Amino acid sequence: MPRSRRSFLKQSVATVAAASVAGCAPDGDGESGAASDGGTRGAAPGTKAIRLPAHTLRAVGETVLPAELGDDGRERAVAAFERWSDGLEPVAELAHPYLVPETRYSGPDPRPGWAAQLQGLEKECRARFGSELGEIDVAGRRKLLAGPVGQAGTGLGSPSNAGHVAVALMAHFFRSPTATDLCYGRVIAKQQCRGLDGALGEPVHVAGSEGGAP
Amino acid sequence: MSRVIESDVCIIGAGITAAMVAERLAERTGASITIIEAGQRTASLAERTNTRARMLAYGENPYPNDHIPDQTGTGNMYRQMVVGGSAMHWGGAIPRYSPEDFRIRSLYGVGFDWPISFDDIEPYYQEAEERIGAAGEQGPEDCDPRSKPYPMPPLPLSYNLARMREWTDSAGIPFWTQPWARNTEPYRGRNVCQRCDTCAVCPTGAKYTPDFAFDQLLAQGRIDLVTRTLVRRLALEPGTDRIAAAEAVNRDAPAEPIEFRAGTFVLAGGHAWSSHLLLLSGNSRFPDGLANRTGNVGRYMTGHWYVSGFIDLPMRLYPGIFANNSLLTHRFASPGPLDRYVRHDIRLWESDVGRAPRLRNGDGSLLWGDEIMADWRERTDSGATARIRSYYDVLPDRDSRLTLDGSNTNALGDPMPRIDYRPAQTSLDLEGHTHKTIFGRFEHLARAAGGSMMSTRTSRLWEHPGGGCRMGDDPATSVVDRWGRTHDHENLFVVGAPTIVSSGCANGTLTFCALSLMAAEEMEKGLNG
Repeated sequence: MPRSRRSFLKQSVATVAAASVAGCAPDGDGESGAASDGGTRGAAPGTKAIRLPAHTLRAVGETVLPAELGDDGRERAVAAFERWSDGLEPVAELAHPYLVPETRYSGPDPRPGWAAQLQGLEKECRARFGSELGEIDVAGRRKLLAGPVGQAGTGLGSPSNAGHVAVALMAHFFRSPTATDLCYGRVIAKQQCRGLDGALGEPVHVAGSEGGAP
Repeated sequence: MSRVIESDVCIIGAGITAAMVAERLAERTGASITIIEAGQRTASLAERTNTRARMLAYGENPYPNDHIPDQTGTGNMYRQMVVGGSAMHWGGAIPRYSPEDFRIRSLYGVGFDWPISFDDIEPYYQEAEERIGAAGEQGPEDCDPRSKPYPMPPLPLSYNLARMREWTDSAGIPFWTQPWARNTEPYRGRNVCQRCDTCAVCPTGAKYTPDFAFDQLLAQGRIDLVTRTLVRRLALEPGTDRIAAAEAVNRDAPAEPIEFRAGTFVLAGGHAWSSHLLLLSGNSRFPDGLANRTGNVGRYMTGHWYVSGFIDLPMRLYPGIFANNSLLTHRFASPGPLDRYVRHDIRLWESDVGRAPRLRNGDGSLLWGDEIMADWRERTDSGATARIRSYYDVLPDRDSRLTLDGSNTNALGDPMPRIDYRPAQTSLDLEGHTHKTIFGRFEHLARAAGGSMMSTRTSRLWEHPGGGCRMGDDPATSVVDRWGRTHDHENLFVVGAPTIVSSGCANGTLTFCALSLMAAEEMEKGLNG
């Protein structure tokens, strides 16, 4: 039975994760994909929280995330990114690559740079448009972002390696189970603990997406 | 003055082969068993939910404290030194070797025959599958021989793999489901797989990891598990070739040595650290290291290489349904008569390569939100991607070798291992033919689907490594006999990966476990006699 797209976007991944098996859902609420939020809220152990300017970050979200998410969906995506950012631990030991004897660590903390980028965007916006970023249209925001994103963005890999906060936000969303389901118009729920029973069937449609794009 | 700990059996290393030996000896003998592990415990099952989440979110190691920083060798080797060993992180793939793997000299005139046949090891494969909890599908009998059914039904084919198997059937190549150490039914107190798709860290306990076996044995009072304790050398009984003690230090009190005395010693340190300890243990009677009278310790280090690629398929698939299941064929590992030697497996997975979201389109133009989604949909609507990979048999040279590296020492001043792998000239001569043959089969598969190869690559990473203490009937060319008993020391066994002769063309862990169970059976004779 297809579900409404709104309820899918709001509930699907968290519900699948929580209902499938006790012990699979991490501590965070995981609204846009429990696993991608890192299972934590607040600062990672031993680190000081570096909050990104919320208002500007949301203005960026409206600019770089799909409009088809709607205002609520974009807000959830940005909030999930904020939780992920809060939980990020710089210079953490990374999973060992296969048959590599040396230990590898994640890079330095990207958040001070990201916060500065958002502050810079506001300054630039006021200088060029006389307004805050959230008050100008999306086309204007993209003009402001095109240069730095174009320089920093080579792909949508690990968000913590993104050279610009807008790329990090996009990477965080587009790598999520929610984005995959939205792309295919099907409830795939990748990397959620889904049980074995549903594996064989073709994933059910997200309501409103029959035949392809929602 | 050393503290002394005595037992009937002393197992050095607490990985999967130690678990096999300890479990079997605990069931079939009354022997007291001590297991020494240089590492410590890592994330418990309860903790793996959150470490998994952080691995997904940030790429972090889901097994904290799973290695010892200064205990680091050079060359391809596993990082883990922890209770459970590298089988904490493993994906759980447990194919058997093929009968041909044990007789390649007799059948094909290359490499070396093992001192055992497939029929010799088959009952121990079954026992290992039952101890681990194997879920598998019987393949065609001529290339997947087995005497009894798998303990559990196979993991279900996903929608993606079912479509892919229709395709491989049309190509005339039999594929079946990869056997896994993951439960499809409740088994030995562990959960059923929930398709979390992060098998390197399983949050449900459906994947076998050795810590489960150790916890049960500890609860039964059948083993002592001594952690954070590094064995630095083995010592002989005065005037004999028997091993008297394992000399160790607790890493928290390195000035206070510990001496583990036992009637039987078992080296279960995996492909690198078992040979390493033997070489470290040289003395006046064995100046080049224990069990090394004929100079074979550390030699014939082996593994297999692979070729891989991605295939563009004209079908609608949904990557993410079950990325950690795969299709497998051993048809080409059991090829029948050959004009020129080449043996390999083939595995197939769902994949999103070439069909993942991207920031720039094919022209290099920057994309934003809806444009990224539209570009992504266009590429997922137009077809699907399959990942394909073949392990192929590479024969080790005698000088494929682990040595002590005096330029790299730990905090105690002990030299660390260095592995310099080297293929036999036969394998180098066959490499081009091997690649051409396998890529031809990839192309055949792609064409059968109306698809095409997107990309191919070759790798010389020695995967599923082993060797260093290879088994044989002749002490002049081997370190241990078919039971893993060293030729030079009647109360010293080496188990698992170090004892293999070659790596065949399949993941090795199940074979390492089966060989360990064979060795345990031999140990039982002495312990029960």
